[in-house]
Amino acid sequence: MSRARTSTAGPVAIVGYAHSPICRRTDTSLGALTVATALAAIADAGLTKEQIDGFTTGALFPSSGGGALVDGVQIVTSDWLVERLRLQPRWLAGFQGVGQIPGAMILAANAIASGAADYVLVHRAMYNPPKRYHENPLIEATGSHQWTAPHGLWGPPAQMALAYNEYMQRYGATRDAMAEVVVEARRNGSRIPWSHWFGQPLSVEDYMSSPMVADPISVLDCDIPVSGVGAFVLTSGERAKDSKHRPVYVAGYAQGRWRSSNSLDFWTLDDIYEGGAATAARLWESAGLEPGDVDLPQVYDGFSPMVYFWLESLGYCPVGEAHRFVADGGIRTEGGLPALSGGGALGNGRMHGVPQTLECYLQLSGRAGERQLTGIEVALACQSTPNFGGVVAYSASPPG
Amino acid sequence: MQRCARCGWLSYPPDTICSSCLSPEGSFAWETVSGRGALRSWTVIRTAFLPGFAPYVPYVVAAAELTEQAGLRLVARLAGEPGPGLVYGAPVETVFEDVAEGVAVPMLRLLES
Repeated sequence: MSRARTSTAGPVAIVGYAHSPICRRTDTSLGALTVATALAAIADAGLTKEQIDGFTTGALFPSSGGGALVDGVQIVTSDWLVERLRLQPRWLAGFQGVGQIPGAMILAANAIASGAADYVLVHRAMYNPPKRYHENPLIEATGSHQWTAPHGLWGPPAQMALAYNEYMQRYGATRDAMAEVVVEARRNGSRIPWSHWFGQPLSVEDYMSSPMVADPISVLDCDIPVSGVGAFVLTSGERAKDSKHRPVYVAGYAQGRWRSSNSLDFWTLDDIYEGGAATAARLWESAGLEPGDVDLPQVYDGFSPMVYFWLESLGYCPVGEAHRFVADGGIRTEGGLPALSGGGALGNGRMHGVPQTLECYLQLSGRAGERQLTGIEVALACQSTPNFGGVVAYSASPPG
Repeated sequence: MQRCARCGWLSYPPDTICSSCLSPEGSFAWETVSGRGALRSWTVIRTAFLPGFAPYVPYVVAAAELTEQAGLRLVARLAGEPGPGLVYGAPVETVFEDVAEGVAVPMLRLLES
């Protein structure tokens, strides 16, 4: 193991969390659910809201539907949250990119390490609109969309379908292999009480007969749109020593840096691999780790092919081999690499990077209950794709 | 397509800065390309998220790598029926469809291989 580069003024740790129920529609407003979840996370950390002097989130509403967004309804920013909590924190920031949970966690860790804040609340609020998620009345495209929308290419499912079909054609992957991914995510999600899919594992037959949205992406290759909120409390390693629960340390991180000669609406497979390799290299350098040091690499699965892209970019199998790796049981929590043990997005609902981060926290802090795995010391939480999103390494012991 | 006058790189979609040599706007020239290339991917769109495409569903959106430059991709609807010729690497050409008064969009058509 080489020396980690993410040395800061000292380690930073997660010391508490809360998660709302995940549901298709909330009974209350998303803002009210966020206030309740934030207060629950603060209480879980054994703190009062007045002790929280830093707030951050990535509030993006990941729909291609267009239309105006109301803070506290479709999105919840940290600005909205602190106003409703009646707080005047020292530090507040919003993450603007994609890979919102890693992005916000990285901002929080550095704010704490620099002394800008002592206790930071990171939240993520996700909203399911009443109409179809990506439906848009657009009749004239401008900006980058003008090169894709006039061809009927619109929204993430079709965008991901082009990259996934290129993968299938180039490497001979089949939908049978992908059934392993989706069934594994749902098997694990079915054991999580707050999951939309609690008590509802999926059969291979149901996956294989799932209707297509944009071939080869079927309905069940997409995470289901939901409303829900996750929140985490972070502080310095020094303050974390006195915390109620076993601290879980930030051990390194990396973010994708988008580079493409094409459009943001159209990704080629090579764009993903080129950017993904660079992200992975930065991650291992940042954390001073190698792929084999990680016990629990929670890959992102908002669309099922993203699992392949992360496994290959991170180095758990060669490029083009992830479909064989998963078909051979490579990511089964029982006996394989626990890459979707927290259910991911496919097994929880569209909570973006919350399930991956929460699974790292629960397993490393020993709070996973009947799902607790043994021997988990180092974990990864990924979000979005490796060329575009981000990844944070967490550890049970202070890094360094 | 847009070619950089300094380094010769073709950019599609058009850009304000050459993605190869970083030459800024003003040093590009437009030129006609062959429109021929190799099929690299495609998807069958079953749900139209944009209202204008509802009459076409299901339709195929294809991605071709043009012969002029490695990695130069054109995304467009597939002209004609998909059929057994829809395979990775299949040769394609560009045709234009008049979709409205004064508006034509490129489409990709499979060539006999």
